[in-house]
Amino acid sequence: MHSTLVRAQNVFGLFTTVAFCVATAIALSVLISPQEPSASIKLRNVQVVRGRPHYYSQKKEEYAHIKFDLDADLSSLFNWNTKQVFLYITATYPSLKASEPPSQVIIWDAILPSSSAPWHENHYIHPNPKNSKTRSKTTSLSPYPAGEIHLSNQRPKYQITDMSGKLQNRTDVVLELGWNVQPWVGALTWINWQDVGAWKGLKGGKSDIFTFPETKRKDVDLGTAKGGEGNRGKPA
Amino acid sequence: MADQLLEKVRDAFEGQIDFEGQRLAELLTTVLLGAAGIIAFIVGFFTQDIYKTLWIGLGGTALAFVAVVPPWPFYNKNSVTWLPPHNAISGLDIEVDGRKVN
Repeated sequence: MHSTLVRAQNVFGLFTTVAFCVATAIALSVLISPQEPSASIKLRNVQVVRGRPHYYSQKKEEYAHIKFDLDADLSSLFNWNTKQVFLYITATYPSLKASEPPSQVIIWDAILPSSSAPWHENHYIHPNPKNSKTRSKTTSLSPYPAGEIHLSNQRPKYQITDMSGKLQNRTDVVLELGWNVQPWVGALTWINWQDVGAWKGLKGGKSDIFTFPETKRKDVDLGTAKGGEGNRGKPA
Repeated sequence: MADQLLEKVRDAFEGQIDFEGQRLAELLTTVLLGAAGIIAFIVGFFTQDIYKTLWIGLGGTALAFVAVVPPWPFYNKNSVTWLPPHNAISGLDIEVDGRKVN
C-alpha cells in the first residue's frame, strides 16, 4: 500500500470480492422468499385449419388455433431479485409413435416485468378487463399488480403445427402453464410442481384433456393475435 | 530546475506514505468495503429494493477509493527517521593484500 497505484489496485481487488459475495448473498436470499403460485387454464375453443407455412409453399399443413382462459396469481414469484418472468402456455400431446416423447408447443407467451425493471417495448401489457370503467388505450400500466393475470377467451400468439403436418383428431392434448423467473443476479428458475423448501409447487396450471377436432374450411379466419402483440419478437 | 520539478511531479504521482499510514490504509480499505457490502445487502433486503443495494455498494466503493488512494496527510504522520548520514569513506579501514586502500 505504499504508492497510489498499489492502493488503487488493492481497493479495486477487494471491491470485486465484496461485489461477488453480495451477489451470492442476493442470489441465495431468493430461496427464503416464499412462493405460492396458483393458476387455472381452461380451453375456450380449438380449431384446426389447413394452410401454408408461407406464401410460396406448395405444402399444406394443419394448424391448430387454441383459445383459452387464464387466471393466474404469480405475484409471489416477484421478490426483490426478480427482473422479469417469462410466462408461456404449451400444448402437449403424445407423438404418433409411442416410443417418442410427447410434442410440446408454445401457443402463447408474455414477458412480465417486475416493478424494478426499466421499461421495455417487449414487456407484456395486460389488457383492461371488459367491464372496467377506466378504459384508456394510452395507459401502459397493467390493471393488475405484477404477476396477476386474468385473460378471457385469449387468442393464441402462435398457431401450431406438427412435424408430420397432421394435427386433426390427435387426442390427449393438454394446456400447461410454464414460466422462467429471470433474476437480477443468480440462477434462472423454471416452473416447479413440487414443493421445494419455501417454494410451493404450482397449484393448477393444467387444463383438462381435449382433442384436436377435424379440419375446418381453410377460409376460416384464424384470428391469431395481431398488431403489436402479434409482432413481438420479430424484427421491425 | 526542470529535474526538481519532475521530481515533485513524480512524488505527487507516486503518492508514497509511511509504514503506519500503510497499515491504516489497509485497515480502512477492509472496513469501508466490508461495511458497504454488508449495509448494502441488509438495506436492500429489508426494503426489498435491489437498486438500494447497488447504489449503496457503489457509493461505499467510491468512498473507499477517495479515502484510501490519494496520499492524504494523515497517512504521513509517522515518517521514518533515518540515521544521520556520515562520510563513509573517512572512517573505513580497508586492507587489500596487507596494504591500506584509501
